[in-house]
Amino acid sequence: MSIQFKTINELSHMLKNKDISNKELIEETFSLIDTNTHLNAFVTLNKDASLLKAEELDKNPSSLALAGIPVAQKDLFCTKDLRTTCGSNMLSSFIPPYSATVIENLENAGCISVGKTNMDEFAMGSSNETSFYGNVQNPWGDKLVPGGSSGGSAAVVAAGIVPAASGTDTGGSIRQPASLCGISGLKPTYGRISRWGMIAFASSLDQAGPMARTAEDCALLLNEMCSHDHKDTTSLDEAIPDFTKDLNLPIKGLKIGLVKEFDLSKLDNEVVKVFEESKKQYESLGAEFIDISLPNISLSVPTYYVVAPAECSSNLSRFDGVKFGKRCDDPKDLEELYIKTRSEGFGDEVKRRILIGSYVLSAGFYDAYYKKAQQVRRLIKNDFDSAFKQIDVIMSPTTRGGAFEEGSKGDDPIQMYLEDLFTIPANLAGLPALSIPNGIVDNKPIGLQLIGNFLEESKLLQVAHNFQISTDWHKKTPNGDVKS
Amino acid sequence: MDKKTVSTIAYLSRLSLNEENGEKITKDLENIIKFVDQLENADTQNIEPLASPLEKTAKTRNDEVTAKNRKETFLERSPKSNDDYFLVPRVVE
Repeated sequence: MSIQFKTINELSHMLKNKDISNKELIEETFSLIDTNTHLNAFVTLNKDASLLKAEELDKNPSSLALAGIPVAQKDLFCTKDLRTTCGSNMLSSFIPPYSATVIENLENAGCISVGKTNMDEFAMGSSNETSFYGNVQNPWGDKLVPGGSSGGSAAVVAAGIVPAASGTDTGGSIRQPASLCGISGLKPTYGRISRWGMIAFASSLDQAGPMARTAEDCALLLNEMCSHDHKDTTSLDEAIPDFTKDLNLPIKGLKIGLVKEFDLSKLDNEVVKVFEESKKQYESLGAEFIDISLPNISLSVPTYYVVAPAECSSNLSRFDGVKFGKRCDDPKDLEELYIKTRSEGFGDEVKRRILIGSYVLSAGFYDAYYKKAQQVRRLIKNDFDSAFKQIDVIMSPTTRGGAFEEGSKGDDPIQMYLEDLFTIPANLAGLPALSIPNGIVDNKPIGLQLIGNFLEESKLLQVAHNFQISTDWHKKTPNGDVKS
Repeated sequence: MDKKTVSTIAYLSRLSLNEENGEKITKDLENIIKFVDQLENADTQNIEPLASPLEKTAKTRNDEVTAKNRKETFLERSPKSNDDYFLVPRVVE
């Protein structure tokens, strides 16, 4: 029986029923990896250690929640003794001495980390075209981008190689690639998952989360990924519910907000049609739609492009060629060591963002840009706070359309930045948000975004799961429908 | 955004730009700054800046030693080190 396109639950059942051994599951995963190398989705594989762990599980069966499940890890998480590049030449030979808390949590739940997935360099990009290790191919079509920055993670789940992958989301880096690859992905509330061991991009926005075939699998993963961690001072010390508990509760009477300021008339007609169909689906499930206004939301992208580069320029100052990572050859003095190392180690998009960050933080411009952006950030958060007094969740398309072709956004970075128009607001406000597949246009999947109130991941997952038990968009794959 | 400004912020960022990508990056930065300039129009009078969505101050913990000395582990990951130190070109003549 093939393991391709199976969900976590299906694989767990196969393992429990002994339809397949742990070792066979991992061997088959690696043979799927071998037949899909054209995707360029992995930067580093973890084959020997994965097989060892599987053999161990065959000898000593485990009842852990995710025992034996193969998971791909975004190459932004530090993994002990396994190369971690963050998509950059700067870290091309970096072997971390410890694992990120979220990786430890997943592995302690029995997961097998089969490899590290390709990504935009330091998570800066929306198409996986900024990786030092080359573009990732979207399994849905030649030359189509998988989205970014968690492009490799999205591609390996979409291709059915693994049932799940980890991702991170600073401005949409889980939800946008999930949308472009036709899978489900969740960015939790800021602080739900520890950032310890995540290579920092913009610390007040970064959040890790699960990517999988279904909302149900995202819930299973989230149960294990969350923890309060004293090593991350922004880690939330809140009760962690069983995120699978409410999945099957009906959503009759649920109030869904539609944002007046999200102008859908500029989107492709077919994309709008897909959105309207999803609204009808939710209406038939008993949900009610309410128009809401988020007056400052149109300033989200410019706010983000001040806040994120500012934090990135500060975070990335640690890459100086002294303690770890790359160092240039034969520097004549310390200053040349810094400058040459950084100029050789970073790609153009990373340099652009560091430069913007240094500019908006520099004396004379700080108030006009950085402080101003932080003030607008509060206005945006206040808008959400008022809206959630009258609604349960907010619904929008995840992106402006389906996957685009490599190189098609041209030379203008702003065109690429606008790719995250619908996803950025949730990061600025720290709110949980997810994307699920809700249609196909021109043979390319389209995603639906749901944004929830603080700590309401359970409700978000319930709303998404209700959609998935009444539709089959999540069963579409590049190879046709998954048979259940 | 002129060449001089760009070379100042490049130096502050410890980055060097060559002729070829220097011009392109200058143009890009100019466009990005123009794009974020729309923030000017927002009325933010008396609005407190929001630095983090949690708005909680960093938690403190008891001052107890928890870390082990892992000097070797860290030094061996350095591009250049001896038994005790990270090595860089001579700073003091």
